[in-house]
Amino acid sequence: MPHADIPVIQTERLVLRGPAPEDYPKFESTFTSYRSRFMGGPLSEYESWMLYAAEIGHWQIHGFGMWMIHDRETDATMGMAGGWFPKGWPEREIAWMIWPAVEGRGVALEAVHAVRSWCYDHLGWDTVVSYVDPKNVSSVRLCERLGARLDPQAESIDSHDVVYRHPSPAQLRGTQLADGIAMEVRNYIDPLFKPKGVPLD
Amino acid sequence: MTAIPTIDTARLILRAPGPQDFPAMRAFYASDRSRFVGGPKDAEGAWRQLATEIGHWALCGYGRWIVEDKATGTVCGIVGLWNPEGWPEPEIGWDLFDGFEGRGYATEAAEAARAHAYETLGWRTVISLVDPANRASARVAERLCARPDGEFTHAVFGTVIVYRHPVPEVCL
Repeated sequence: MPHADIPVIQTERLVLRGPAPEDYPKFESTFTSYRSRFMGGPLSEYESWMLYAAEIGHWQIHGFGMWMIHDRETDATMGMAGGWFPKGWPEREIAWMIWPAVEGRGVALEAVHAVRSWCYDHLGWDTVVSYVDPKNVSSVRLCERLGARLDPQAESIDSHDVVYRHPSPAQLRGTQLADGIAMEVRNYIDPLFKPKGVPLD
Repeated sequence: MTAIPTIDTARLILRAPGPQDFPAMRAFYASDRSRFVGGPKDAEGAWRQLATEIGHWALCGYGRWIVEDKATGTVCGIVGLWNPEGWPEPEIGWDLFDGFEGRGYATEAAEAARAHAYETLGWRTVISLVDPANRASARVAERLCARPDGEFTHAVFGTVIVYRHPVPEVCL
């Protein structure tokens, strides 16, 4: 069972809960694979387990952290998304990872949009960034779909990443940007729903 | 998550690790004292280690406690039950921070952790892994009546000596 204090977030297709011991297997297979090359991996099994434990400890230290993303219907794990702020990070980050088999269904878009809104609404953040390896095309693309923009002035973790700054809470409140994200998610749920003017990958 | 119990011994308090323990962890991992336990680590590495110590409790239902010197309230080490992925079996581990050696604190805290493993968790056996060059740690194992029981080789820690503790009937 996840930590009782970690809030549960529901979206149309997903339920996000604190990371639990039984959710670990696909985290390990992702972090010990080539898939994790932009997230500090691939790691050994030992390093992967230590990182998973640290993801849980992060919640206790900061009161926020990475949620485990579950399929609302099957409860299967799909990846993780949330706030990430370990020592050494210049500022708070919205981070994500999606298991390889889950890619291409808009799960990261739906989950990251939900956790970003949660952090803005419940933690009172007025800004947040994502640190992205510029070679990680899927993440760069996701940043753009989420309305985040390159912030060349912001300090990066090291020279290997670029900083995307997310839209502020005000820029997401009842705006065209927020509607666009919701419509893109709707298109994944119902592919026959094709709103005009929404870029679909 | 399992509530982390607090244990009271003659001179020490064993309590849950928390954010307030970061300075002590950073100092320990910055020092040469951490060379047998994966250090030295920079501040970022020490922070992740602290987060991992907390998460270990959630993943396993047991873990390591921050040890406080009762008289002064000072944090003097991190001791407890440790079993990350790839470990040969659950162990009792002890890291004593600078300035607290030579008082039997590691032994006293490890004895309390062992009692918790046997009495509360119902374990029938437990080991401690000791780097062959870490004489101070081997002496703690010996004072706890643990005896060498083979070797274990780990990708990060190399080959270490497995000390096996006496069974519950002998310890309790």
